[in-house]
Amino acid sequence: MKYVPLVLRNLMRSPLRTLLTVIAVALAISLVSLLRTLPAGMDRAMNNLSSNSRLSVTNESGLAYPLPYAYLGKIASLDGVEAAASWTWLAGAYDVDEGLTFPSFAIEPEGLAGVWPDWPITPEAHQAFARQRNAALVGADIMKRYRWKIGDLVTLVGTGHFPVKLEFQIVGEIGKSLFLLQREYLDQALQAQGSQLDSAPTLWIRARDPAVAARLQQEIEALFRNSPAEAVAQTEKGYFGTVFSSLADVLFLVLIVTGLVALCVVFIAGNTASLAIRERHTEIGLLRALGFPRRTVLGLLVGETTLLAGLAGALGVGSAIALTGWLRASRFAVEFPVLSDFSVNWIIVISSLGFSLAVGIVAGLLPSIKASRVEPAQALRMLD
Amino acid sequence: MMIEITDVSREYRRGADRVLALQSVHLEVRVGRFVALMGPSGSGKSTLLNILAGLDRPTAGSVRVAGTDLCTLKDDALASFRARQVGFVFQFFNLIPVLDALHNVELPLLLTRMPKAERLDRVRTALKVVGLAERASHRPNELSGGEQQRVAIARAIVSDPALIVADEPTGDLDAHNAHETLGLLRELGSSFNKTIVMVTHDPRAEEYVDEVHVLDKGVLHAPTKSPTPAQEKEAECGARTRREHRHLAGAPRDGDAVAAHEVRSARS
Repeated sequence: MKYVPLVLRNLMRSPLRTLLTVIAVALAISLVSLLRTLPAGMDRAMNNLSSNSRLSVTNESGLAYPLPYAYLGKIASLDGVEAAASWTWLAGAYDVDEGLTFPSFAIEPEGLAGVWPDWPITPEAHQAFARQRNAALVGADIMKRYRWKIGDLVTLVGTGHFPVKLEFQIVGEIGKSLFLLQREYLDQALQAQGSQLDSAPTLWIRARDPAVAARLQQEIEALFRNSPAEAVAQTEKGYFGTVFSSLADVLFLVLIVTGLVALCVVFIAGNTASLAIRERHTEIGLLRALGFPRRTVLGLLVGETTLLAGLAGALGVGSAIALTGWLRASRFAVEFPVLSDFSVNWIIVISSLGFSLAVGIVAGLLPSIKASRVEPAQALRMLD
Repeated sequence: MMIEITDVSREYRRGADRVLALQSVHLEVRVGRFVALMGPSGSGKSTLLNILAGLDRPTAGSVRVAGTDLCTLKDDALASFRARQVGFVFQFFNLIPVLDALHNVELPLLLTRMPKAERLDRVRTALKVVGLAERASHRPNELSGGEQQRVAIARAIVSDPALIVADEPTGDLDAHNAHETLGLLRELGSSFNKTIVMVTHDPRAEEYVDEVHVLDKGVLHAPTKSPTPAQEKEAECGARTRREHRHLAGAPRDGDAVAAHEVRSARS
């Protein structure tokens, strides 16, 4: 403890350099912490989103090509199918000027409870949704964001394939960031414009038992083979897995970048420590002349870099926690609900702090070992 | 005897060349003496000073300081010897710029097990001895050259070493401050029975020191100034009287300049 004032005063020798080093290391640690939330966040998001007894059916050519709506009835009649529903993205915006959309889907009310019995919807809300043509079930985060409440009338404008303006009455709450409307209401609005809703990008079914899901998958694909719109079926876990697997390569690159960032931090910190130690060559010689043992000098120098990196690590982790917290509470989480699943957990906190301390030790060790071996007489230029 | 240097040589390698910095040097310095090492640049003065201070090792010969054979000590033991027995004063003061005078003087005491309160008491007393009690909170860049050298002297005496080595202590000072510094070293030596070995080019130093040894091309010549037998006897009696006086006064241990000053201040 008696050396702490000496270490602190040395750290404050050049406040600007110390500040810039702390900021550089803190930013890197913050970035590393944030990137490390991705794998766990994606796993969590997938587990939250998916089930093994639900199957999605989409056009084999991709989500951009919808399936004929008539497929829904054929699939629903297959043995082992408990319930079926279609899923059509409205891309509805509340505040058109702001251009902010949120996940809004048209769905059959009768399919809702059957396909997604695990969703938290009260029976009253469900009944109201089925009964009223312009009913909407809205997520808590969206309601909070726009200060809506149950019973409010709200108007959404379709910003995607469906250029319609629809007025809804909120009849209940569903999850966090979802807006469900009746498919028939959207269809009627389109018919009024001279078109109709005769397709759906995604059909969903719930198998009676996860054990029959694989058989149903094969049957559905066989049912529409050689048709103009061949279909591909997969479990919900598989569906989201496909979505996320396209991100897996990106994630791999992200993790490589994380490693490179970490390496850069070590080099930056090492270079700064090296410069700071080299300019104190004479002072280190003085300490050695006064009788400070090599290990004490080494401890003082490494202690400085470790303290600096530890402080930067705490700031970096703190800012990552603050940023993920802010993202969860921001409007972005309404638009991209998956953001709610990304958080800096204790493992990331401890490993990031450990990493920053390791950066301090590694960066400080080499120049410090060299400096602690200085011959005092040479360092003090006490040569004749 | 405080310093016994016997047949010491020191050879350096400069590329392919071998430079003989010291050749078979013999030197004995009694306790309480103030000794100047003089000679032209490159004569080996600082090399000899480094060797007797435990900062360098001879190529041949033996070095005993305060009863310790320095040639047998390993690096850590030599560092410990320096911490306990040697105080350093340098030409360019070598104060740590980010520390104030108080913390600069405290540095050697950080190596002891002394409690903080006692450390700070000793530091304040050492600063009082050199007349800088009021400047304790000033950093080196807020002090004049003479004041910085006095802080360095306070740092040299604070751990109560038996030997003080000074390398050109007046080399960076004006005439007034050079006289003050030499006077202060003289006063410390005679009042607290410290042995001081000083490398200097300053001819003014001769009037303050007991002995002058001249080195030339690594060879130590016979002293150009040394006490007469009568002066030696008087000095010995004086040193004994001062030791007894401090003993009666209850000084913590023989030769402890800082502690003795504390007792003396309390009595007055």
